[in-house]
Amino acid sequence: MYHPFVLPFVVGFSVMGVVLVARYIYWLRGMSPGNRQRVLWGFFSRSTLLAVKEILQESLLHLKIFRVNPLLGFMHASLAFGWFMLIVGGKLETWYYTGNFFNPPYYAIFFRYFEPLTEGFWMNGVLLFYMELSLLIVLSGLSIAVVKRIRKKVVGMNNTTRHNPANRIALFFLWMVFPLRLMAESATVAVHGGGSFLTTVTSSLFLSHDWAVWLELPLWWAYSTGLGLFFLALPFSRYLHIPTEMVMLLLKKWGVQPEPGFNPEKGVQAFEVHSCPGCGVCLDVCPAMGAGINSFQSAYFVRQVRAGHNYETIADMCLNCGACKEACPVGISLESLRLDARSHLHRKANFDHRYLHGTMTLWRDTTEVVLYTGCMGRINPKTTQAVKSLLHEAGVKFIHLDEHESICCGRPMALAGAAEQAKMLIQRNRELIHGQNGQLLVTTCPICYRYFSSEYDLNIPVLHHSQFLWQLIETQKLNRHKGNLRYAYHDPCELGRGANCYDEPRNLLYTVGELVALSSERNKALCCGNNIGSLTLAEEQKQKITANTLTVLSENSPDYIVTACPMCKNTLSRQSTLPVRDLAEVMLECKEVNVAGSRTRKKQASVNVTP
Amino acid sequence: MINFGYTASESRHIDMDERLHPAIEKMLHREPSLKECIACGRCAAVCTAGYFTGMQFYRLNLMAHRGLINEMKQAARACMLCGKCQMTCPKGVNIRHGVLLMSQITDVLDV
Repeated sequence: MYHPFVLPFVVGFSVMGVVLVARYIYWLRGMSPGNRQRVLWGFFSRSTLLAVKEILQESLLHLKIFRVNPLLGFMHASLAFGWFMLIVGGKLETWYYTGNFFNPPYYAIFFRYFEPLTEGFWMNGVLLFYMELSLLIVLSGLSIAVVKRIRKKVVGMNNTTRHNPANRIALFFLWMVFPLRLMAESATVAVHGGGSFLTTVTSSLFLSHDWAVWLELPLWWAYSTGLGLFFLALPFSRYLHIPTEMVMLLLKKWGVQPEPGFNPEKGVQAFEVHSCPGCGVCLDVCPAMGAGINSFQSAYFVRQVRAGHNYETIADMCLNCGACKEACPVGISLESLRLDARSHLHRKANFDHRYLHGTMTLWRDTTEVVLYTGCMGRINPKTTQAVKSLLHEAGVKFIHLDEHESICCGRPMALAGAAEQAKMLIQRNRELIHGQNGQLLVTTCPICYRYFSSEYDLNIPVLHHSQFLWQLIETQKLNRHKGNLRYAYHDPCELGRGANCYDEPRNLLYTVGELVALSSERNKALCCGNNIGSLTLAEEQKQKITANTLTVLSENSPDYIVTACPMCKNTLSRQSTLPVRDLAEVMLECKEVNVAGSRTRKKQASVNVTP
Repeated sequence: MINFGYTASESRHIDMDERLHPAIEKMLHREPSLKECIACGRCAAVCTAGYFTGMQFYRLNLMAHRGLINEMKQAARACMLCGKCQMTCPKGVNIRHGVLLMSQITDVLDV
């Protein structure tokens, strides 16, 4: 069975296959020896089956998107799973009809043209019905996609990705493919009869027999050409994510480890970068988007990394708040990718911290808690003082490690892409901490907390002060009465999304008062705007982000805005008309509130945009 | 020029009409907010590295305008990028990015 109109499809499909195989082999060869070993070990293990399950759930059914936004999930699922159903159905149809399992791929795809009147038992009708149902599912998803391009609000999105020309061309052909298939099949049904519930209706509605005789072959040509051109564009557009995402899920299940360095065309990172579909889920969650800054979001960052140019400014500008990583349905490690890009850009940065002399502690009393307030604690003495008072009150024996001189924890250097250069800082701080003979390290800064727990390899546990204060409340070393003040809690990026600590600060606030609900909180919390994650974002833009965040925080007119990060506190208090407090300050202050029993409510919460 | 009655050593003058070193020009192009600095010294007052080495960011910026590139680069290398200076800066200068560029100035901003 053959007709020349299958040629565009065959050519497009073959070129895609060759390009894909060549690129994948190149990327796999670039993997580290350890990772290659893991792939070999994982190949014939249970993880492969688990990966197949995940491919079905995420690459085809898109359950993660479905859970967040059902309509958007249905759009993605119907296109992907519907197409998958068509492929499986085509295979079954040809297998059933010819009795051979292996047939040329074009035979299954253009089956209705070659065999307009399939005969058989009831099975034939079932297959026909199944195929047309699958096509209808795909077309329903496609119509939502078209509507989404015109009116994104319909599917509950505030922003969609602005695509570059290559992606637009691929998108155009993808959109053409399925309507053309429907029309071509309808024409064949109009000429020869047959067909199931869909094509019989469409053929009788739109095509008379005479017209169909004329149009049948051109329509099949058009369908084949559209399909061929889409496959041709696939490896050079964002649709490369379709096969790559599946490979990446396999690699992840086989346990490959992230590779050091910035290599978007080599190894694991290549698979990760190319599995971004540019779906735009990261746009809506980005705090900068609400402030009208729409140039550096992850979808654009990854796209430029793939293109290999113009990613520099984008990489440096982002605030690294981690909201996009949290929302990414593909699970791309966007934060480390961005930091890798930064360290590639600033690879010549050459810092020298040898002026920090080592300390040698001969003997020290044991102490319960080593308190570390960090750089930001120094410009927020009130927070530090509050924590100290609370520790005194609870009768905790502590040493304030950096009361007189402090060394930065090193995370800011890592955020600037100079993680390698922070080694000296880590070493000196570790010496200082180990020299204290403490049982627990408590820090008031989430930035330090995150870096201490992930990079320091300390011999004592680390806690953020919110966690430690909650422990004190739980063990009743610290007692608080519930007041009637209303608090809005701002989740610091580094503490919430960064260290997954959402509950302790909230529990503390519940203990002393009421907590107001916010429209975006916990892992969807907005960034305060002055996160040290950004290197180049201009002051006015940061202020816009802060103003936007404050609008959300003052939604339900709380009495206080509370946060657990000295930097967030500093930034928010500059522009806020409501008082901004650190958790520790609230815990310290609330005693007085209970004694007085007064309730001072702000009449109208408003946000001052200019500081 | 208006005479305010002050005297200053000729060698310490910064003549804004004079052309800057090309590498400095490039640096200012990459981080335009550096031009905003008014040398108020808040950055120096809170500096972590300054505590140990006497590094002062506003002075680095003045060095840049005086063309003292090597001195500036050497002094910038002490920075820990902690960002306290940025929190206190009244003009919103992206000091961390500035220092990052200063520390690698002749390597990256080739002329």
